[in-house]
Amino acid sequence: MKKLLGALLASALALGLAAGGAQAAKKTVKVVFIGPLTGGVSANGIGGRNSADLAVRLRNADPKAKYHYEMVVLDDECKPNVGVQVATKAASDPSIIAGATHYCSAVAIGTVDTYHKFGLPVIVWGAVLPDITYGNDYKEIHRVNGTMINQNDVNAKFSTGQGYKTFAVIHDTTDYGKGHLKYFSEYVAKYGGKIIGTFGVTADQQDFNAELTQIKSLNPDAIYFGGLTPIGVRIRSQMDKLGIKAQFIGTSGIVSDAFIQGLGPLAEGTLAFREGAPVDKLPGGKFFTAKYAEAGYPEGPEAYGAFAFAAMNLILDTIERVGPNRNKVTAALEHVKNVDSIVGPISFDDHGQNTVAAITKYVAQDGKWVVWEDSEYASGKRKLAK
Amino acid sequence: MSAAPRTPLWPGIAAAALVTAFAVAFMWAENEWEVIGVLAAAAVAVLVARRSGWLAPAARAFETREPAMNRVALAALLVFVAVFHGDHFPLLMVGTVLVYFTVCLGLTIQFGYAGVVNFAAAAFLGTGCYSAAVLAAHSAIPHLALIAIGGAVAALVGSILILPVLRTRGHYAAVVTIAFGLLFKTFLEVNDTLGGPQGLKLPSMRLLGMTFNDNFSVAGVEFSFYMHYVLAALALAVLAFAVTRRLERSWIGVSLDAIRLDETASACFGIHIARWKIVAFTLGNFMAGAAGALYALMLGFIAPTSFTFGDSLVMVSIVLLGGIGNPWGAALAAAIVVVLPEKLQVIQEYRFLLYATMVILVLLYRPEGLLPRPLRRYLPGWRPQ
Amino acid sequence: MDAGLLAQFVANGLMLGMMYALVAVGFTLFFGVLDVIKFSHGDVLTVGAFTGYSTYLGLKLLGAADPWLQVAAVLVVACSAMALLGALIARYLVMPLKSAPALNILLATLMLGTVLRESVRLFYPDGANPKRFPRLLPTDAVALGDFNLRLDSVLLFLGGLAVIVAIHVLVNRSKLGLAIRAVAQDEETARTMGINFTLVVLFTFALGSAAAAFAGVMNGLYYNEINFGMGLWLGVIGFSAAIVGGLGNIYGAILGGFLFAALQTVGAVALPFASAYKDVFAFAVVIAIMAWRPTGLIAEKTSERV
Repeated sequence: MKKLLGALLASALALGLAAGGAQAAKKTVKVVFIGPLTGGVSANGIGGRNSADLAVRLRNADPKAKYHYEMVVLDDECKPNVGVQVATKAASDPSIIAGATHYCSAVAIGTVDTYHKFGLPVIVWGAVLPDITYGNDYKEIHRVNGTMINQNDVNAKFSTGQGYKTFAVIHDTTDYGKGHLKYFSEYVAKYGGKIIGTFGVTADQQDFNAELTQIKSLNPDAIYFGGLTPIGVRIRSQMDKLGIKAQFIGTSGIVSDAFIQGLGPLAEGTLAFREGAPVDKLPGGKFFTAKYAEAGYPEGPEAYGAFAFAAMNLILDTIERVGPNRNKVTAALEHVKNVDSIVGPISFDDHGQNTVAAITKYVAQDGKWVVWEDSEYASGKRKLAK
Repeated sequence: MSAAPRTPLWPGIAAAALVTAFAVAFMWAENEWEVIGVLAAAAVAVLVARRSGWLAPAARAFETREPAMNRVALAALLVFVAVFHGDHFPLLMVGTVLVYFTVCLGLTIQFGYAGVVNFAAAAFLGTGCYSAAVLAAHSAIPHLALIAIGGAVAALVGSILILPVLRTRGHYAAVVTIAFGLLFKTFLEVNDTLGGPQGLKLPSMRLLGMTFNDNFSVAGVEFSFYMHYVLAALALAVLAFAVTRRLERSWIGVSLDAIRLDETASACFGIHIARWKIVAFTLGNFMAGAAGALYALMLGFIAPTSFTFGDSLVMVSIVLLGGIGNPWGAALAAAIVVVLPEKLQVIQEYRFLLYATMVILVLLYRPEGLLPRPLRRYLPGWRPQ
Repeated sequence: MDAGLLAQFVANGLMLGMMYALVAVGFTLFFGVLDVIKFSHGDVLTVGAFTGYSTYLGLKLLGAADPWLQVAAVLVVACSAMALLGALIARYLVMPLKSAPALNILLATLMLGTVLRESVRLFYPDGANPKRFPRLLPTDAVALGDFNLRLDSVLLFLGGLAVIVAIHVLVNRSKLGLAIRAVAQDEETARTMGINFTLVVLFTFALGSAAAAFAGVMNGLYYNEINFGMGLWLGVIGFSAAIVGGLGNIYGAILGGFLFAALQTVGAVALPFASAYKDVFAFAVVIAIMAWRPTGLIAEKTSERV
């Protein structure tokens, strides 16, 4: 028995030394990616994960890189408490230097304190709630994608411009949905539209008959939906059941293939808006799409993949420059001005927020999200609802 | 009758030391293979101990020399915590295990002793969490009092259910607590004053001038700030454990056992069924609420999705797996249930499936659980033949 | 509120009530026969819905395009598969635990429900995401003022009604039903009378599970969506409905189902500021009813051996 134990110990020791020796070439630096990998918005999370992974892979294949990078992937399930749990796990691990985090705004706003508490510099890649960067003074929090403020401005202007004057708003009760409600209300009043009813729903609600029946009696021109894909799909299909003919207008939360797949032909004619130019019109868009296809991921990058790639790339660049030290990375990220990336030049303002001027208007056409200007709706060949 | 010779203490001490060593190795294990290796080694050690007849003396030491063994267990836990004094995440896990242990002690009193089924344990934990969150943010009540208040609020909320729980039996009683558990989470989610689905944030706990959220160092040794919370949770758990044990040993415990086993006979013997059920139910909820208040302060953030029906089921599984009515079993099961999925990332996703399957197997083949509750002893030194 | 709107609410309530009633009838059947609460019933519903969905996908691959054929096939496959699953659960989980304390069976079936739910989530391809259930029934609608009456809703309602009537006829008018009622009344005497206890129990579980599968497919056709968590909620509501109506009594179960749906609809209408409160309202009422009438509205007639 003792001999067996001794032999086991010796072999374990030998294996450990061998493994250690192999790594002695380049020091391994750990970075973390956090996103919703399970649940209703998992398509976006997985797309972001693949894109960030692509950035790490390309960097590891580069012989000029000073370090070997390992990406730790954590799933926040789009739930705030799980997000805080995995954020604590990542941030309390001293070997993780920086991270690209969060698609769901509800999660991102909950975890800012955690990252600050442990001093982990993070760059948000998909959450659009403004408070994430503007609601605090933490030096650790940055964001490469835009906020929902611009999005709702363009939305309100465009929608009223299309002739829709009365709106019923359905929003989810997380800070994400409430944020959309706040900004849309502001801008729609500015452009002469009117909100005739507001309905808050839970993020996993199944049955919307009660809300939609009331909306039917209000008879709005359009229904504005501030929420994510899973309930967007349900609302749109139950709208049809009740015979509501209003135009369905969504936000960046429904710009995903999962929305169209979930509805089939019913998705036709839905309007939505997103920060950032469409991927092929981005400066590095073609490069990104080509490399992504080459890497052979089974799932697509979805709407925010390019931002995840840009965020992770920026992190890797910064670590290459100042070394694998959290404080140094945080300090370096404070001074990001006009840094080139595939989504265009990134500059962080005093709150760590990147300015993304372009807002893309999308309309669902023939089973795909098509940029408005390129669509048959813009040219007049097809008509929107009402 | 001559006094029976005192059971030797050292098998128990050796067992505690070995368990601590395994626990430290388990926490230190970095990747999955190391974890599985440690688990396999532990399983082998237990089997070898049973075969060579070493397990029985250790168990006897725990049963008969309880006060001394309690101190040994406490010392072992402190040694474990000391080993990880600077690491955040292991300490957070220890804190979580201690909180779950306290809640499960409450469940043991309700379910294991009095036979009152409670499928809303997570709801009462949540009540404690939310009361601490609201009071910490809006009032200047000292944080130590918050723990007691959290317990009191949970007990108060539980009193809503007392009437239905008393009047119903078996599966009808189950539906009452299940409905409450579901109602609780839904209520929190739709209610904006309590934060809604976004949850609530809590400030750092402050006690005796120390801010718990700051790392500290003693004599040059760096301690993680979670150490504060772990020590507080340990104090709470020790208190809960002492109460549970005293309760079980006393005539109150005998009454509760009698009520669980046969209500009609107990009533015939003059035991006031309603009163003792209320006491058990309320005490259990109080413990859950107090643990919740501390848990909220430790995490700094709570949201309704932490307190679902699934979480209540996990707590019931802990009590069942460990052995109904045996606090040591609950401790062991709580440690396994909380720490294993964190360490074995590959099973993180499968953990609900795993727990549910284990409980079904336990119910089918070994309903007493991992560490069955020992028979009550009325004559000192008596052992069943 | 005008008549059309009221009619819409009533129609919604009726559909919900039908689905709850189907689940509640299953619970009542199991309880009546074996004195057990099979908590996994709701998750059997989920598995049934997913089985139906897989059947549909399979049919699509094979090229069978006629929607009526698809509906028939989906229903037949889902119901028979769940009948088999129900019988297996009875044989290997419930019957061995028959002599254990009642709480053990409750817990075992609760855990089994979790196993079924998690299995769907983990092992069905992309199981964690909601799946779009196809629109197989005709979607012509008739608009009567504000009220939009859809043909598929009517068909679903009539289908559910037919299933309930069929179960009622089976249990009350057939020889097998007589055997079921005998076993429910007194197991030992039924055995003495020559009734094959095991077979009757297995058949009852199969029947209840098939009804659950029907409810699952109905749910999928109505909301055009299925997800792995649908059974948990429906199961608890069905259970509460069965209890409120009195366990062991089919009429009570149906009453309980429609009552629960009425509670939710009234809650949604009366509390316009947050129709999400309707669940809270409904469950609160259930707890209140249990406090007032501990064995349900139509009390079960039991005698307790001391």
